Amino acid sequence: MSSQDSQDIETATTAIESAPDTKTRRYDRQLRLWAATGQSALESSRVLLISGSATSTSILKNLVLPGIGHFTILDHAKVSHSDAGNNFFLEGYNSIGKSRAEEAVQLLGELNDSVEGRADTRTLGSILKAHPEWITSFTIVIAHNLDHTLLNELSALLWKDAKYPPLVVVRSAGFLADFYIQFHEHTIIESHSEISPSLRIDKPFPALREHALSLEFDKMDSTEHGHIPYVVILVRALEDWKKSHGGSLPKSYEERQQFKKGVLALKVKGDEENFDEAETQAYRCWTETKVPSEITALFSDPALFIEAMDSNQSPFFHLLAALKEYTEQCDTHTLPLTSTLPDMKSDTHNYIHLQRLYKTRAEEERQVFKSYLRVPVDDAMVDSFVKNAHALVVLRGKPWGTFDEDKAALGESLSTMPKETCIHLALSALSLLQAGDTSVSPSAESIRAKIQSIVGQYTELPDEADDAIGEIARAPFSELPNTAAFLGGMVAQEVIKMITKQYVPVRGYCVIDLIETCTGTIGA
Amino acid sequence: MATEINVNGAATSSDWQDRYYHVDQILDRPGPRTDPSFLAGDEVKDFLRNKCKILVIGAGGLGCEILANLALTGFKDIHLIDMDTIDISNLNRQFLFRPADVGRPKAIVAAEYVMKRVPGVQVTPYYGKIQDKGDDYYLQFNLVICGLDSVEARRWINATLVNLVDPENPESLKPLIDGGTEGFKGQARVILPTVSSCYECSLDMLNKPTTFPICTIANTPRLPEHCIEWASVLEWPRARGDEKLDTDDPEHIGWLYSIAVARAKEFKIEGVTWSLTQGVVKNVIPAIASTNAIIAASCCNEAFKIATSSAAYLNNYFMLIGTEGVYSYTFEHEKRDHCPVCGGEALEMPISRDWTVEQLIELLTEKQNIQIKKPSLATPGKPIYFQQPPQLEEATRPNLEKKVLELVPDGGEVVVTASTLPFSLSLIITYI
Repeated sequence: MSSQDSQDIETATTAIESAPDTKTRRYDRQLRLWAATGQSALESSRVLLISGSATSTSILKNLVLPGIGHFTILDHAKVSHSDAGNNFFLEGYNSIGKSRAEEAVQLLGELNDSVEGRADTRTLGSILKAHPEWITSFTIVIAHNLDHTLLNELSALLWKDAKYPPLVVVRSAGFLADFYIQFHEHTIIESHSEISPSLRIDKPFPALREHALSLEFDKMDSTEHGHIPYVVILVRALEDWKKSHGGSLPKSYEERQQFKKGVLALKVKGDEENFDEAETQAYRCWTETKVPSEITALFSDPALFIEAMDSNQSPFFHLLAALKEYTEQCDTHTLPLTSTLPDMKSDTHNYIHLQRLYKTRAEEERQVFKSYLRVPVDDAMVDSFVKNAHALVVLRGKPWGTFDEDKAALGESLSTMPKETCIHLALSALSLLQAGDTSVSPSAESIRAKIQSIVGQYTELPDEADDAIGEIARAPFSELPNTAAFLGGMVAQEVIKMITKQYVPVRGYCVIDLIETCTGTIGA
Repeated sequence: MATEINVNGAATSSDWQDRYYHVDQILDRPGPRTDPSFLAGDEVKDFLRNKCKILVIGAGGLGCEILANLALTGFKDIHLIDMDTIDISNLNRQFLFRPADVGRPKAIVAAEYVMKRVPGVQVTPYYGKIQDKGDDYYLQFNLVICGLDSVEARRWINATLVNLVDPENPESLKPLIDGGTEGFKGQARVILPTVSSCYECSLDMLNKPTTFPICTIANTPRLPEHCIEWASVLEWPRARGDEKLDTDDPEHIGWLYSIAVARAKEFKIEGVTWSLTQGVVKNVIPAIASTNAIIAASCCNEAFKIATSSAAYLNNYFMLIGTEGVYSYTFEHEKRDHCPVCGGEALEMPISRDWTVEQLIELLTEKQNIQIKKPSLATPGKPIYFQQPPQLEEATRPNLEKKVLELVPDGGEVVVTASTLPFSLSLIITYI
C-alpha cells in the first residue's frame, strides 16, 4: 500500500463531523434520496406555474416543501366561491374576490422560509406577445388546464430552442387526468438504477487474480477458511476450472451445476457460509462483463458526432465520448471498474484488503478514462459518471401535441392501451371543445365526435371510450380536491427528477384514472 | 313528509354558495361506471357532510395530507389519533407544521390548523396510542384511514377491525383504507374486514428488515453500519449503563457517532458519517412530500367513493414505484386461508424432531408470513413459554431448552400470542 493510500484511509476514517445544522436536519429525509447535489439543484431552480388552481397549488406545495429556489404563480383571476372551497392554499371565504395568485403565494410561502414566491397577475397572452424572454428565463414551466390556443402558443415558444425550459402540461376533469413533459433532451448520470455494476469475476483484473491465486486454502485454519470472501473463492474456482477445461468457462447447464458442486466441495466444514454464498453467486462467473446494450446504444447518439461535439457545451456528452473511447481501447472492452463492493461473509482483514484492491484498480481505470476527456470536467462529476456508467440515461422528447396529430400512433395506442388512450383523447376533446370559451359544457355526443375527428373517421373507438367520455361529460369543470392532490404529488415528483437530473422521469403522457385507481403511460 | 336537508353541512356562517361546486358535479349525477345504488343529489351530500364520521390514524407525512384532503372533500366530522410530537425533520413534508410547533403533539397542531383553514370542519384530536381505545370507540366510525409508519400499529388496528365484525350487524364492518410510503414508492389499499384480504394476509409482501448478526458486529466488521451497530448495541449499554438511548437526542447520536468512527478507524473501514449513524440507529426511512401526496390522495379518494358510492372503489391494492418513470400496479390481493386474523384455518408448521422451543420461537420471529416479536406459546391446556408476566416467564423459561416434541405431540396445536397483537395464531405442529 502506498503512503498516499494510507493517508486516504487516515483522513477518510478520522474526519469527525459536528452535529448537522438546522437545514440538514430539516431536509434529512429527502437528502437520503437525492443528496446534497440534488438539493442544490433544487435550491437554484426557478419554477413558473401558470394558474393558481387547486392542482397548481398542490404541485407547488410539494416543490416548496423540499426547497426549490423560487416560484412564480402567473394568474390574473380573482378567487371565486368555488376556488375558496377546493383550494387549501386560500383563506376560505375570506379570500373570495382577491387575487388568486397573491393569496396562494402568501400561504405557500409559509411552508418554507427559504423559498421565494411571487405572484404575477398579468395575462399569459400579453406576456407571450410582449415578453416571451420572461417565460424562457425559468428552469421549468408548468401549466394546468390551460386554454388550448394559449397552450399551443406556449409550447411552440418553449420548443423553439433546446435551451429553453421544459414545459409540463397538466390536464384534469373529475376523476380523470393526464400530464406530459415537453423537453428536447434530458441526460441522467444518477439514475439510481437498482442494477449493480459488475464485479468482473469473469474478467478479473491482475491484482484480483493474483490475490486469489496466492491464497493457499488448504493451509488455512478453519476460521480463516470460513471467511474467504466469495469473490476470491469464485475467481480462484474459475481459474481452476479454465485450467482443466482448455480455457473455457462453464457453458452448459450440466457444466454450471458441476462448477457449483465443485465450489461447495471446497468446504472443509459444513457450515461455511462463505462457500454457500459463492455457490449462490456463481452465475457471476458466466455472466459476461461487457458494456450493457443500453450504453452501447448511447455510443451512436448523434450528439457524439464530431460536428456536434465541437459546439456541445454539455459535459455529459464529453464524458460519454470519453467512455466510448475507453471501452474501445481497454483490453477487456468493459466499462471502468467501480469500487463498490457489496457486503459478503468475510473477516475484516480479507474484506478490507479486497476492497482496497477494487479501489486501487478503479482509481487506475478512472485515470485512464480521464485521459480520454477532451475538455476539463469537474472531478466530482467524473467520479459520479464512472460510478453510474452502467446506468446512464439519455431521453429525447417531442413537442406537446404531436401525439394527437399522429393518427397511426393513436390507432396503435387505442388497441394496446385502450383505457389510457381513451382518457387522454377525452381530455384532448374537452380542451378543443372549450378552446376560446372555457365555460362550454360539452355533451357526451360532442366529445365522442371530437375524439373521432382526432383519431380519424376510419378508426373505431373501443368500448372503453364510453367510460372516459361519460366521466368527462359528467364533470367537465370539476377539480376534485383528491385528484388535485394526486396530480400535485405526481407532477412535483417528475419536476424534481427533471430539476435534479436524478432518477428517470416519465416518457410520454402519464394518464390517471382515479375510479379504478390506476395509471398508465402512452405516446412515448 | 320530507325533512329539509342542509346540503352544505351544519349551518354555520362559514358555508357559502358554490363552496362544493367541484365535488357536487360528481355528487349530482352518476358516471358510466357508477353503481346503480348511488343516490345522486342532496341525500348523499347530507350523509357526507352531516352524518359521516371518519377516523384518521397518524398525523405524520400521510396524515397531514389526508386531513387536508378530507376536509376539502366535505367530510366534517374527523377524528385523529397520533402519539408523536413534531420534530424538525418532519417539516420537509408534514405541511401543517411550522418550526415554532417543534415539540408539540402532532394530532393537536394538525387538528387546529385544518379547522382554521377549512371552516366548519370539526377535527377531534387524540394525542396517544390507538391501543388506548376500545371497541366502542372504533364502532362509532363509518370509515378508518391509516397513514402509519409502523407495521405493529397496522397489524393491531387491522386485527381490531376484523374482530369488530358482527355478521348480524352490517354497521360493524368498518372499511379500512391503508396507505404507506418509502421514498418514491408507496401503496394504498382498501380492506373490507372479513370480506377482502386484510393487512395480515399480505404480511409476506413486506421487505425484510436489514439486520446484522451480532457476531459480525463484534468480531468481523466490514461495513460502516457494523461499526455503528457496535456502538449502539454493544458499547452504549457497556459504557452508559441503564441510561436509555434516545435516538432524537443529538448528544446521544454524537456519542455513538464518535465511538463508531473510532471503531471504523481501528478496522480501516470507511464511510461512517453522522447521517448514516442516525439512519442506522433510528432506522430512518426516506420520505418526501410528493409520494405522500399521491398516496394520501388515493386513500382519501377511496374514502370519498366509499362514503358516497359516486364511483367504484379500488379493488383492492394500488402499488406505486416512482423511481423510473411512473410505474403503478393495481391488483386484487387475495385473502390468505391461513391468515391468523381473518383466515380461520390453523397454520401447519412442520419442524424437525430435534428442535427446541427456543428454535421454534426464533422461527416465528423471522418467518415472513408470521413475524411475531416476542411470541408467547401455549398448548390448548398449558403454557409452553410466556414472555409476560415476569413470574410466568421465569416459571416457563426452563422449557426453552426442551425439545418441542417433549411438549407437543405430532399434529398437536400450539397457540401463539404476543402483547403487541390483539389476536392469536394457531399452529399445527408436525415433525419431519
